[in-house]
Amino acid sequence: MPTMTYLQAISDAMREEMRADERVFVMGEDIGAFGGAFKVTDGFLDEFGASRVMDTPLAESGIVGTAVGAAVEGMRPICEMQFSDFISCGFDQLVNVAAKMYYRQGLSVNITVRLPSGGGFSGGPYHSQNPEAWFMHSPGLKVVAPSTAQDAKGLLIKAIRDPNPVVFMEHKHLYRRVKGDVTAGSYETPFTARLAREGEDLTVIAYGAMVHAAMEATEDLGGASVEVLDLRSLVPLDEEAILASVRKTSKVVIVDEANMTCAAGAQVAALIAERGWEDLDGPVVRVATPDVPIPFSPTLEQAVLPQVDDIKEACRELLAY
Amino acid sequence: MSSSPTELLVDLTMPQMGVSVVEGTVAEWKKQPGDRVERDEIICSISTDKIDTDVESPASGRVAELLVEVGATVEVGVVLARIATDDATQNGSASSAGTSEAAVALDAPGDAGELQGDTAVEHDETATERTSVPPARGPRRYSPVVMRIAGEHGVDLDQIEGSGRDGRVRKPDVVAFLERERQGGSQAAEEPPMHIESPYKPEPITPKPPKPASAPVAAPAPVVAGPLGPTTSGPLSRMRQAIGGRMLESLQTTATCTTIVECDMSAVEAARASSGFTYLPYVARATVEALREFPPLNATLEGETFTQYESVHLGIAVSLGQGGLIVPVIHHAQDLSVEGLAGRIKGLARKARDNGLTPDDVRGGTFTITNPGAFGAVLATPVINQPQVAILDCEAVVKRPVVLTDERTGADSIAIRPMTYFCMSWDHRALDGALAAQFLTALRGRLEATT
Amino acid sequence: MTLYRQGKVPGSFYDGYGQEAVSAGATWAMAPEDRLCILHRDLAAHLIRGVPPARIFAQYMGRDGGVTGGREGNVHFGDRNLGCVGMVSMLPDMMLVAAGMAMAFKLRDETRCAITWFGDGSTSRGDFHEAMNWAGVQKLPVIFVLENNQYAYSTPTAGQFAVNPVERAAAYGFPGVTVDGNDAEAMFEATRVARERAIAGDGPTLLEAVTMRMHGHAAHDDMKYVPSELVEKWRAKDPIDLQVRRAETLDVDVEALRAEIKAEIEAGVEEALAMAMPDGDTATDRLFADEEALLSDGNGPWSGFAHASGEGA
Repeated sequence: MPTMTYLQAISDAMREEMRADERVFVMGEDIGAFGGAFKVTDGFLDEFGASRVMDTPLAESGIVGTAVGAAVEGMRPICEMQFSDFISCGFDQLVNVAAKMYYRQGLSVNITVRLPSGGGFSGGPYHSQNPEAWFMHSPGLKVVAPSTAQDAKGLLIKAIRDPNPVVFMEHKHLYRRVKGDVTAGSYETPFTARLAREGEDLTVIAYGAMVHAAMEATEDLGGASVEVLDLRSLVPLDEEAILASVRKTSKVVIVDEANMTCAAGAQVAALIAERGWEDLDGPVVRVATPDVPIPFSPTLEQAVLPQVDDIKEACRELLAY
Repeated sequence: MSSSPTELLVDLTMPQMGVSVVEGTVAEWKKQPGDRVERDEIICSISTDKIDTDVESPASGRVAELLVEVGATVEVGVVLARIATDDATQNGSASSAGTSEAAVALDAPGDAGELQGDTAVEHDETATERTSVPPARGPRRYSPVVMRIAGEHGVDLDQIEGSGRDGRVRKPDVVAFLERERQGGSQAAEEPPMHIESPYKPEPITPKPPKPASAPVAAPAPVVAGPLGPTTSGPLSRMRQAIGGRMLESLQTTATCTTIVECDMSAVEAARASSGFTYLPYVARATVEALREFPPLNATLEGETFTQYESVHLGIAVSLGQGGLIVPVIHHAQDLSVEGLAGRIKGLARKARDNGLTPDDVRGGTFTITNPGAFGAVLATPVINQPQVAILDCEAVVKRPVVLTDERTGADSIAIRPMTYFCMSWDHRALDGALAAQFLTALRGRLEATT
Repeated sequence: MTLYRQGKVPGSFYDGYGQEAVSAGATWAMAPEDRLCILHRDLAAHLIRGVPPARIFAQYMGRDGGVTGGREGNVHFGDRNLGCVGMVSMLPDMMLVAAGMAMAFKLRDETRCAITWFGDGSTSRGDFHEAMNWAGVQKLPVIFVLENNQYAYSTPTAGQFAVNPVERAAAYGFPGVTVDGNDAEAMFEATRVARERAIAGDGPTLLEAVTMRMHGHAAHDDMKYVPSELVEKWRAKDPIDLQVRRAETLDVDVEALRAEIKAEIEAGVEEALAMAMPDGDTATDRLFADEEALLSDGNGPWSGFAHASGEGA
């Protein structure tokens, strides 16, 4: 099994699908000759040509809107937003046109919108956002967020094949920092959660970059056996996996890199409070970024994004409760 | 009032005599300021809208001050008096009124069907008395999962030492407790016995200092010599009176009839051999199922109003020895399996014997099972536990020769089977004999088909 | 409108009264394999593509048998099986979707065209610019029909733009053509030409259909803000009256035609009134597709396509 980075896994997924299915093409700003801001599509232009590796005007609404048009005519566009933050410029097309089309008109819209999201590298307020909650709240969109290279490839392939609009949260801070064994060839990862580590005493629920922080924080917590659940899919949310873990450990810490209010973790907490009540041996604890734009300076940024120590602290408190 | 280095002021607070009770009235002070009082000695009596009861002193020492006068009504938790203790290591106010649960009587006034004595929400104080667990600061609260597990297994949470913050009982504590129970305990002693082979168990001995009898309690009367020979005479105990009153009322107001079926318990015997349970949980489960088939028996009749219930709230009569009888209720018994019922019966019986039942534990029953079978009798005509419309009495299981007819050949033979009689008294105002008989036949059918 | 006043039509009611030629003329020029993003005053487009009146009435009345099964209201519908994409309320979002469909045709080298309608007001939003720009830079086979009916709700065009959008088409790299929006035949011809351009690979065209909104923005709008002289002037240019006059010169029995149409409408109403309302339990169904559900061809009643594209009779 080849080892590749998270970023390479994403490229690999698109390459596999574009080779296998001529309906698939990728569109975005600077993705052609330049190979993309993060070089995800490096080499694609040479292999697939300009029609299938489309450099678009600087027009997010245009990217998403035309993608919808192409999709209803049977193509399978992959839209790359240069940074997740810029999806707000195409919000209307994504939320009102793409998301609602099937429910309203019975017309399926197979688009995949890739959002390089997340912070931790002094990107500042407009290059560090985690906007998945906006899309969890828009009925008709699926939202996935891999944390490993293996999942990045499998989830993206599945997203491309899914006849619905899928928002793919690729955490850019993981692009080159996360490496792993990735199955060669084509495979799909289901839109379900994954147990990153099994445990007995407490569960940490996270997704994206926070899975790695959670694993590190709970590696050695005074002998406690901590389960880490990687959500992987936010819509659909793997409610059964979440509740099963709560049933097992009865204590749960939810980590969000996104701003606390109404983040994905808030929905998970509500679910647990409603349907996992009988299994709880302590309050549902959340560790999340406070409700502020992500600041630029490293000391400020680190003060707001959840750090390994923050997760450790929360776990210790709850274990002792 | 200042306290010396070896003295500590302990509060006596108005206890809560039931979940919905919010206040109480001081009826009588048995001690005055300056009087010496021993821990668990009755210090006053109170009256609430649920129950009248005596209240024991939480500590030994001297009554420092009485803060509430006779006839005054105060809210639950209000300090009634203060005692200057002579033991500096005594617990704080949290343990006031606590041990009263344990000590209090059988001679407390109130309905036999109601709670006896001090209940307390102050579970922690009970724990103080009985185990070496340091009490939680403040009232004990249990997390949902702890309560769920405790409920499923009939665990009395006061028994458990908490390893969480501030002594909180956590899930691992309950789980560990259950583990120890499973491995350890001959808990059989606490189960209400049924089978004739089970030895009759006398009530458990609790290490309490002897209490001075209060006035209404029957004091050991003097032996009097007279024309009919020596006699001992005295008024019935408060408890006796209460029970008697209810029995009389039941017989006078209900049209009590008793129907009897006999039942072959060999199938239950076989199941018992592997489960280790007594007969009672099997009878309880079969009763619950039969009641679902015959809803008019799972009912209450109050005046002209006949109420049928979808859920079965099963009362199990528990003998308190000479003290009498109490009927704790398993609410929503239909949700419990044989195993669940066994655990719950065990738990309730223990609580009953330890005077740990709350008014909610004895309220709301829709059908009662009584099982004095251990004492050897084979038939009885029980008294209906009003306002219910029926009561099932399970007498002794006795090996008898019975005639069995072969299904195929029709040939008769004699076999030895453990047989018992189920005697059900029922209220003819609410139903007829046919239904009663059908119910009993259904019950018998289920028990004989036990797997 | 009658049904609306009878309380049978939930929500709002929009119509294209007085603008019928804009969509009727233009749609007539579209081939079965072309695709349409139809707007709220363009009912004629749906009818020409083949949606039966009964289904349209049912759609307005929120019935289960309506085109969207009650999920969308009034004219927010598009029968995908007839090559029509239902509109969204944010305007002119559908310009981008039309451009996207055209993009697919171009990527796949297909001789097909997409068309969409949008109003004078909607040109003020960013999506107008993005669509015009995108279609122009990629030379897409799309026809943008700007339905200039003088008013965006209560805002006259004078308050909407400083330069008429048709003049700005050149700035995006393609022609902007002004057409008499009340003349069905003029609309047809302009659209036919634009279509030829598109399928020849020469890129998009902006057609400005000049017309007048003769009713309010919706049934709840009495349009008091429109000067009555304007309304009178345009009443004289009613598009249907114009077609009637033309038909009469061809000896068509107009009265008989009207009766026939009326009967068809009545029958459609009856059929729609008989349809059930959708079951509330299904409200959360079909949010996500299990499999693809794409567009198919609709009616292209004009027989002249073969001639126009030079592929023989």
